[in-house]
Amino acid sequence: MTDYISLPLIAFPLASSLILLMFVSNLTEETKQRVGPIIRMASLIFSLIMLALTTGMFFEYFGDFEGWEGINFNTYEFQERYLWIESLGIYWSVGLDALSFPMVWLTTFLLPVTIIATWHEKSAATYFPLLLMMGGALIGVFVALDLFMFYVFWELTLIPMFFLILKWGGDDRKYASQKFFIYTFSASVIMLLGLVTLYFLQDTTTPLNYAGSMTNRSFDIPTMIDASMIANTNGWFLGESVQKILFVMLMLGFLVKLPSVPFHTWLPDAHVQAPTGGSMLLAGVMLKMGAYGMFRLPFSLFPHAMESFQLALMLFGMVSLVWGAIVCLGQTNLKKMVAYSSVSHMGVILIGVATMQPLGWAAALFMMFAHGIISPMLFAVCGAFKHHYHSMEIGAMRGMAKHSPWLATSMMFAWMASLGLPLLAGFVAEIMMFIALWYFIVAEGWSIWWMAGPLLVLVVTAAYYLWSMQRTIFEGGEETQPPASMAGHAIPDITNAEKFAMLLLALFTILFGILPWIALDMMSDWTNQMFDSVILPILGGFEGGA
Amino acid sequence: MSNASTKTMQPFGEGFIEAFAPEMTLFIGLLVLIIVPNLGDGKFRLPLTNIRLPWFFGGNRSKFEQNPYLPGLLASVFASIAFILTLLSFVGGMHSVEVTSASGHNLLTINEFSRLFELIFYGAIALACIASMNRLAPYPSDDRTAHGLYNNRRQADFYILMMTTAIGMSIVALSQDLFFLFIGLELASFSTYILVSFLKESKEGTEAGMKYFIVGSVASGVGLYGLSLLYLWSGSLQFDVLSDKFAADGLDALPLIALGFILVGFGFKVSAAPFHFAAPDAYAGSMSPIAGVLATASKAMGMVGLIRILLVLASPDMSDDGTVWLIALGVFSVVTMTWGNLAALGSTNPKRMLAYSSVAHAGYMLAALTAVGAWNWSESLSGDAAEAAAMVLTALMFHMIVLVCFKLGAFLVISILEQEGGGHTLESLGGLAKREPFLAVTMFIFMLSLAGVPPLAGFMSKLLVIMGIVKVAAGDIGAAIANGESISFSDIHWVWYLALIMVINSAISVYYYLRVGIVMFFHDAPEGKTLLPQGNSVRLAIIACLTLTLYFGISSDGLIEVCQSAADALQASWQN
Repeated sequence: MTDYISLPLIAFPLASSLILLMFVSNLTEETKQRVGPIIRMASLIFSLIMLALTTGMFFEYFGDFEGWEGINFNTYEFQERYLWIESLGIYWSVGLDALSFPMVWLTTFLLPVTIIATWHEKSAATYFPLLLMMGGALIGVFVALDLFMFYVFWELTLIPMFFLILKWGGDDRKYASQKFFIYTFSASVIMLLGLVTLYFLQDTTTPLNYAGSMTNRSFDIPTMIDASMIANTNGWFLGESVQKILFVMLMLGFLVKLPSVPFHTWLPDAHVQAPTGGSMLLAGVMLKMGAYGMFRLPFSLFPHAMESFQLALMLFGMVSLVWGAIVCLGQTNLKKMVAYSSVSHMGVILIGVATMQPLGWAAALFMMFAHGIISPMLFAVCGAFKHHYHSMEIGAMRGMAKHSPWLATSMMFAWMASLGLPLLAGFVAEIMMFIALWYFIVAEGWSIWWMAGPLLVLVVTAAYYLWSMQRTIFEGGEETQPPASMAGHAIPDITNAEKFAMLLLALFTILFGILPWIALDMMSDWTNQMFDSVILPILGGFEGGA
Repeated sequence: MSNASTKTMQPFGEGFIEAFAPEMTLFIGLLVLIIVPNLGDGKFRLPLTNIRLPWFFGGNRSKFEQNPYLPGLLASVFASIAFILTLLSFVGGMHSVEVTSASGHNLLTINEFSRLFELIFYGAIALACIASMNRLAPYPSDDRTAHGLYNNRRQADFYILMMTTAIGMSIVALSQDLFFLFIGLELASFSTYILVSFLKESKEGTEAGMKYFIVGSVASGVGLYGLSLLYLWSGSLQFDVLSDKFAADGLDALPLIALGFILVGFGFKVSAAPFHFAAPDAYAGSMSPIAGVLATASKAMGMVGLIRILLVLASPDMSDDGTVWLIALGVFSVVTMTWGNLAALGSTNPKRMLAYSSVAHAGYMLAALTAVGAWNWSESLSGDAAEAAAMVLTALMFHMIVLVCFKLGAFLVISILEQEGGGHTLESLGGLAKREPFLAVTMFIFMLSLAGVPPLAGFMSKLLVIMGIVKVAAGDIGAAIANGESISFSDIHWVWYLALIMVINSAISVYYYLRVGIVMFFHDAPEGKTLLPQGNSVRLAIIACLTLTLYFGISSDGLIEVCQSAADALQASWQN
């Protein structure tokens, strides 16, 4: 079977970006200026090739399988395995299932869109290769089926993002990039220790698949999940306290990446300082690494611990949701507001997860996907705003609809999509979350007041979005003056490249809003499979059936 | 020794020269370095005759010997040959050799373990020699300036000391006897004392050398006192005799006190807190290649001593008393790594920062050592504990080997800046990305590797150390759990928490490593500085370090196997 993942989706973007960067680093400033457009075009073409490949995978043009629905839990398509470090049992092991495939497609989709949206970014010769590198590393995280490989790519994503923020960021970029790196790195090393402990707690009395010659243990994720599924049906896999501690250690890494509320403080800084392209990839895909990791590892491995931390997860989700939304109300910086709205939406994912039922999980997965399309549009709008008005303050520009109809329309569309307007992608995820939460509360007999948070947030979200729109797009009327930061220049509308990127994002937001089943079917199938094989045999369903 | 292929021989007996080819190479190199620059056309007149016999010393030196580049070249060549010979001895299986005295005492042993450490020493020294050809640049022989003459005259001295350092270190690695251990240690130490203060015209150099010498000799003295107490207790200097006695007598007060003293002596060598105070001064005051040797080879030498003394001699028995020093060592490691990282956060001199990071790395190594010591901490769950100890030792050696790549490499990058008078402030690194992008990227890779970011060698080494510690801590719990025994988290041995503190520490350390990157990429160059000083040999050494950092990060399997064979060789000598 041909390997459709390793070379074209990981090695190709990483290697091409490294080669481009090496080539560029020896050039003089003028030559860099001149080759910039060529490199930009090359990056776009490369990313389009990857998009074509993953789209082909979606339509089952590549590979030989029955379709994305009906893949059993813990079995993978396009699976390939090569020996990497024999003594420790480390393999280069890739594969896709309905959990990871939407994320991989999303990455390859956002890559060209980001390149188009930030077509006129300065220092193009190094910027676009870094975006490619980012894409390769992100795909590596999603396709890895080996813990070591997973962790390597997990950390590898930090390096291009660090440079993106540091080189193209705002005034406070040094602080923001370091905070971003240190915060997420610290959480990941705790996670690493958890992974290593998990590795050494494997039972070696019967030889493990793909075990290392020195350690007799295996880093293989499917092997681990298989072992845990058997053990969990007979009680707690690894024992109660060990399972709980490992669950907490792994979740720490993922909750920081997500981010959930007490661990979210790196996000506003990173987003506000990051360049538009960096923000788009950061919010679009990188945050989803956290949610993806949760499903892939702790939830699959430690369902008992998950059940005992269900209340904590629900609380984290609620607090993120409500706190993120309320903080948004007080923001005067457009990008910061959008960043906090991301925190709020990540809360939706956590709540969906905490319901521990297929519908809630499917809501979480679809939220990951929908937010992955909508939030890049939000940040693209913010970037365009900054680019044209040299300011990010809400109210710096009033009556935008008059001067820049394209930007105003895009902003309105993005804002509406994010607040969950029906027929747009975000609405589907939110309504699913509501139903799942309601169903869960009734079935489990939790207090009805748990619904208060999401209901409050509905109002608050509408308030902050509408309020910011009112102050930027509409106010001002006939006597609108250009903002002071324009220094008397005429106000241009967004460029054609930006228009095109906005159109693409809007198109897909509508597409997945009207026809959510394109992605939702495989997601809900996967969550059903996972529920049936992980939760149901262990914990049973709800009263009245799940 | 269970190893059947072990040969026993007497000093200078049959096959001795072949077996000790790398060490002999260095010794010949030392002689050549002393003799060649002194050769001349001097003649000796036979008394009462007019016959003048040439005897080559004194007189006028030929153009060739006068060449000030010669000593550096010779030293680099000999150190490299020694390195390559050591490397070749691994090919096709190691031929272990034991050198015994006439009375049958084991003096020196060549096996995978000692050879691996020699690999570290020779590699670091060879790279430092190559880089020093630019750092302590010789001047053209027709340069008659005072500085030029001065620098040229001390070329030979410098490289002679490098050779003696290498020889002393290799004796430490080979020794099977406290006497040899101490001789080698002192030979290497005294050479490094002089090397640290080699730039005697600079204030910092003299001060650094003085501090290093005083603290170092006090530490050596204390260590020596500990060794003598061991002798008093056992009446022997032999490792195997001592370890038998430890196993038999348990731990009395006397050997425990002796161990404490020895810990001070070697603690200084590995720059473990609180004996590390001289290290930052010494690193900052000496030339960067020397600082690099101190941070890698010298530290590995201290580690050999610690491994020999603590594990081979005094590995804890099944008795609970054996864990006395284990807990002390654990505390020691935690203090060392935390202190090093916190101190590095506040230092603005990159060499001091690297020195403190070196202290932190010493803490990680001590944590690994603690884990090895804990290998038979509990009879019920020991299982494959010996295998676990081998894993930690493997990790420890892997760590020391790759440290040569990126820590020495970082010092070498700073050494280029020192050539133009910088390197003492973080700001002197400013604008490096514009001045020479390759160097800036290389330095950043070294920093990320030190911080433990994948996929670099530093990540692999840190991962291996963590894995080793966790493996010891977990023991056979996995199988016990699968058996249906109820296991709680507290059943995992306390060395697990060393791994936890280690990962927290490595998270702290990211801050100061990243800061270097930010200064290099986004600060402006110091006033008036554009192009960096030339120097191909130091860049060659840096490229070698970079290549290995990347290679061992991505494909570490071969090195792990070599380290594992070394760990097995050590275990074979301590479990009989």
